Amino acid sequence: MASTQRPQITALTTHCIFFDVYESGQDVLETQKKIWALAQLCQNSGDFIDVVPANNNLTLYLKESSLLAKWQSSLLSHWHEIKSNDFTSTHHKLATVYGGDYGPDISAVAKYHNLTIDDVAQMHSSATYHVLFLGFQPGFAYLAGLNPQLYTPRHEKPRIHVPKGAVAIGGEQTGVYPEDSPGGWQIIGHTDFKLFDINAQTPCAIAPGDTLEFVIQEVLK
Amino acid sequence: MITILKPGMQMSIQDQGRVGSRHLGIGQSGCVDPYAQIITNRLVGNPDNHPVIEITLGLAEIQFDNDYYIALHGTDMKASVNGNAVQPGWSFYIKKGDILKLNAARHGFRNYLAIGGDWHLPTAILDSYSTDIAAGFGGLHGHALKAGDRFDITPKYATKIGLGAMLPPKSTHIRILAGPHASILPDNTCDKFTEHSWHISPSSNRMGARLLSDECKLAHSLSLPSMAVMPGSIQLPPNGEPIVLLNDAQTTGGYPIIGTVIEADLRHFAQLKPGDFLHFEFVSLEQAHLAQQKLVAHLNQLAIALKYKNAKS
Repeated sequence: MASTQRPQITALTTHCIFFDVYESGQDVLETQKKIWALAQLCQNSGDFIDVVPANNNLTLYLKESSLLAKWQSSLLSHWHEIKSNDFTSTHHKLATVYGGDYGPDISAVAKYHNLTIDDVAQMHSSATYHVLFLGFQPGFAYLAGLNPQLYTPRHEKPRIHVPKGAVAIGGEQTGVYPEDSPGGWQIIGHTDFKLFDINAQTPCAIAPGDTLEFVIQEVLK
Repeated sequence: MITILKPGMQMSIQDQGRVGSRHLGIGQSGCVDPYAQIITNRLVGNPDNHPVIEITLGLAEIQFDNDYYIALHGTDMKASVNGNAVQPGWSFYIKKGDILKLNAARHGFRNYLAIGGDWHLPTAILDSYSTDIAAGFGGLHGHALKAGDRFDITPKYATKIGLGAMLPPKSTHIRILAGPHASILPDNTCDKFTEHSWHISPSSNRMGARLLSDECKLAHSLSLPSMAVMPGSIQLPPNGEPIVLLNDAQTTGGYPIIGTVIEADLRHFAQLKPGDFLHFEFVSLEQAHLAQQKLVAHLNQLAIALKYKNAKS
């Protein structure tokens, strides 16, 4: 693979800039904190329709193509000046029922790691997770912070129906399904916390850069 | 009131789509051809960003329970009202009880139906009436229109004459801009992509136009960190069959990007149907900008012409 200079700044269209600082092996979360801070700076400038962080990169959608050159040349200095603690976020607590009918895969996950169901619930709920970015479907958060002892392969055949609110583990990631959908992750519990409600004034309860924790409401056997 | 009697392959309420919430995973939606939407709205005196009904393939029927001023534009679906042919690209009056029938499109894929007046739809979601079919919100009930769906429209008669307008010409020659992954894709992937012609796969939909080629193989084994994607992004999954993302696309993806369709040419995908051939050419940002200006000029000319016509009528 050819090496590419970082940050890489590419005009994807006359209205869109892709800013990429991903490098394999780097601390994803530390880099992402600066990405959130840069996203906030761009959002506050009023020059953009959309500012979309993803995995150690940021895509900027300009209101006017005449602003393209200005931002293409100024992003780099903003990146070097910005501090990861320039960013403010919200912490959310998600009351979660682990196991039973709500977490049909929790015993398989426990068995896979030679743990008890209580261990899985305890380890999963004792971490603080960072919302790296959202995507895949409205309100679906990619979370960083899963205990490596809980990394569990996805189902070989995805379930046709995963219910809204399902708390699940897929590979090195954990997350909550914001809507009923198909899905291949191991379902270990359920939360009533509404990640996405299109009729609410703020449809999406969480934003990129927020932190969250799962709080044990009950562990069912 | 209007009632959907037959929705055909797919029919949905769309405007220019939803922006400002991509970072929450909320996609754009909206008409695949926003220029056809604007022009059709103008023919019936609606504002540019007023919702229209996007009709895919045809084989559809709609009943009108009031007198309306309507227009159809996009492709010829051999439309008729009570057995009398109606011309695409012209506005006309439709009377209470009339049924608009559409046959199957032969040389295109989508039509836009504008109905003059105030549409009584559920509250706009994030400033748009567009139906997000995958996520299930917007439009009438958050899904594609189905037989029996009905909603009220308070008619507005903007003008007393039928008006016609041309759409900018269609094309199967698609101009694209270089993407961020040209240097990490296997040798000559981008050159091969533009040297060969492609055809539209039957599994294409509003999320994306899937491309197939008998002679061009672009398979790879790259896995990349997720990045934002948008209508026009050309993703290359490992199987080597590119996908041109369209209006119902998700907001992030992890496949390499071959390039991005210029904004002015994205509308062509509204009329490309399964089996149609197309080919791609890399252009510069300047060329993309000029192409866009040409479309804006087309709309400006139309605005002046309509103003003059309406002043005379």
